[in-house]
Amino acid sequence: MAVNLKRSSGEDSDGGKTSRRKMLGWLTGAGLFGSAALSAVSNFVFIKPRATYGQPQRFSVGKPEDFPEGTRAILASRGICIVRDGARLAAISTTCTHLGCTVGSADTGFACPCHGSRFDQDGNVTGGPAPRPLPWFQITLAPNGEIEVDKDIEIAPGSYLTL
Amino acid sequence: MSRPTAPKTSFLATLMDIPRNVWSSIFRNPLPSNDLERSATSFTNFFLHIHPVKVHKNSLRPAYTFGLGLISFFLFVILIVSGILLMFYYVPSTTQAYDRMLDLRGSVAFGTLLRNMHRWAAHGMVAVVFLHLCRVFLTGSYKKPREFNWVVGVILFLLTLFMSFTGYLLPWDQLAFWAITVGTAIAGYAPVIGKDIQFLLMGGTSVGQEALLRFYVLHVAVLPAILTLMIAIHFWRIRKDGGLSRPEDADPKVTLEPMETSSAPKASVLEPKKVYGFQGLVRGPLTKVGQIPDNTVFSWPNLFLAELFTFVVTLSAILILSLLFNAPLEEPVNALHPPNPAKAPWYFLGLQEMVSYSAFWGGIGVPGIFVLLLLGTPYLDRGPKGVGKWFSRDRLLANTIFITFVVANIIFVIIGTFFRGANWAFVTPW
Ligand code: HEM
Ligand code: FES
Repeated sequence: MAVNLKRSSGEDSDGGKTSRRKMLGWLTGAGLFGSAALSAVSNFVFIKPRATYGQPQRFSVGKPEDFPEGTRAILASRGICIVRDGARLAAISTTCTHLGCTVGSADTGFACPCHGSRFDQDGNVTGGPAPRPLPWFQITLAPNGEIEVDKDIEIAPGSYLTL
Repeated sequence: MSRPTAPKTSFLATLMDIPRNVWSSIFRNPLPSNDLERSATSFTNFFLHIHPVKVHKNSLRPAYTFGLGLISFFLFVILIVSGILLMFYYVPSTTQAYDRMLDLRGSVAFGTLLRNMHRWAAHGMVAVVFLHLCRVFLTGSYKKPREFNWVVGVILFLLTLFMSFTGYLLPWDQLAFWAITVGTAIAGYAPVIGKDIQFLLMGGTSVGQEALLRFYVLHVAVLPAILTLMIAIHFWRIRKDGGLSRPEDADPKVTLEPMETSSAPKASVLEPKKVYGFQGLVRGPLTKVGQIPDNTVFSWPNLFLAELFTFVVTLSAILILSLLFNAPLEEPVNALHPPNPAKAPWYFLGLQEMVSYSAFWGGIGVPGIFVLLLLGTPYLDRGPKGVGKWFSRDRLLANTIFITFVVANIIFVIIGTFFRGANWAFVTPW
């Protein structure tokens, strides 16, 4: 028994066959690979939700009378803190800008239990790893007299709603 | 082996023979009593045939591998079995998951034990896989021809961490919720695709029902399947890479004389017109039979007994741990109040400590560089020397760099575990 180790190079006496065969090979390969890649990507398209099931981002938090002068009320379930300063109102996020823990109130403003970020009364970073100040959300007075907060719209820190 | 039977056997005798005939139809090979049967045992059994018939004595030295790869595998097996059993009771729903944990404790037979086993085997696997990685590095076993298996190994390590990360959310207790909130937020810091990854993982903008379901699917289906496949490739490559690494001097050098009948020793150059006999192909034109001192022993019983022993020790250790210590279960999730401090599992505390300096560098930058360095190790460190020996002097530089990284991580883990209190402030444990 013997074995032939001659490599099949595809080269025949009439040259030129090789390149056509190679070309077809490349095309087939590219086609198969392309389809595989497309299917892989489509998996991710599938698992990316179009609608999310969380809480609404726009909600009412009550009447201005519920927040008397000087109030700093953390509405934990909404992830915001309603601040009343004289006749002005603001909604400051209580989600830490570092890694998403919920900040609590502290003497000097807010403090985060997770990695020790600290913020002042207006949400500016005063210490720790948080990279950005706590965002302020749009706050408006609805026609029925209720305060409405929209967490999809961030506004410049320091811009209050004046009653 | 099979005795010729008389043409007429009584029906009773046939009945009596059933057990033996069934046995021998499954196991064609008798319990081995000579070398031929010993080798046949290894390759006629489905479960044994991934082993070689003979192994090198060096591979069996306990102080060379400490059996760490094998222990990793057995822990994985324990995790699969206990995990499948837990699946019979677990419901991936935010309203039920926590109650199911309590049920496991209170009203399921062996529920506590199985949950404990699953938890401690998971912690154990992270630790042992990492130790195995250290052993492979410190013995220089990632060098040629094992470069790719090292890469497979690094992927296995990452998969193991990801398994434990996804499993962490499932009890839906305070620890779980906040660790995953922080963990997914770290992913969000990755450049370009970070936010998308975070969104895909959570199935929304915060950790809730969607995230729980996604983590469950990853934990019980996607990741175990990938891990199983990668382990299969890992094992197959060990065989194809010539078994475990060993020092050069494990086999004394012998010079071989070409046999008279063979062709000139340039068989490796495949000349198109030449034709070779099969023997010539197997090992070149030299026959080495009987000329090399044989440093191998039969896998049956040497390797298999060692493996059985390792398995029994691993399983016993997990059982004892599970009888002594209960897997923790904190308060049910309260998305409004993180515990203070909110700590990740111990093996992620080094990461959490670094993250407390900078989210990007601690969570993405430094770990990313570390993983890239690990993946690139066998392609950067090409020197052929120092394979197969612990702490070889030929690999002083590589080992020093590696140990520095490991020690740095351990220090961070220790700081994160013992020296961080409320608001992640520095405290002393005494
Ligand atoms: C799920 C995790 C893993 C399992 C189940 C596993 C299993 C094994 C087993 C059973 C061996 C045989 C030798 C021994 O027991 O030490 C081995 C060898 C090896 N493993 Fe792993 N391993 C895992 C992870 C890793 C990791 C994280 C690395 C490195 C990054 C790695 C790289 C290697 C290499 C290069 C070898 C060959 C070692 C040599 O030739 O001496 N493995 N593995
Ligand atoms: S999440 Fe607030 S400091 Fe890290």
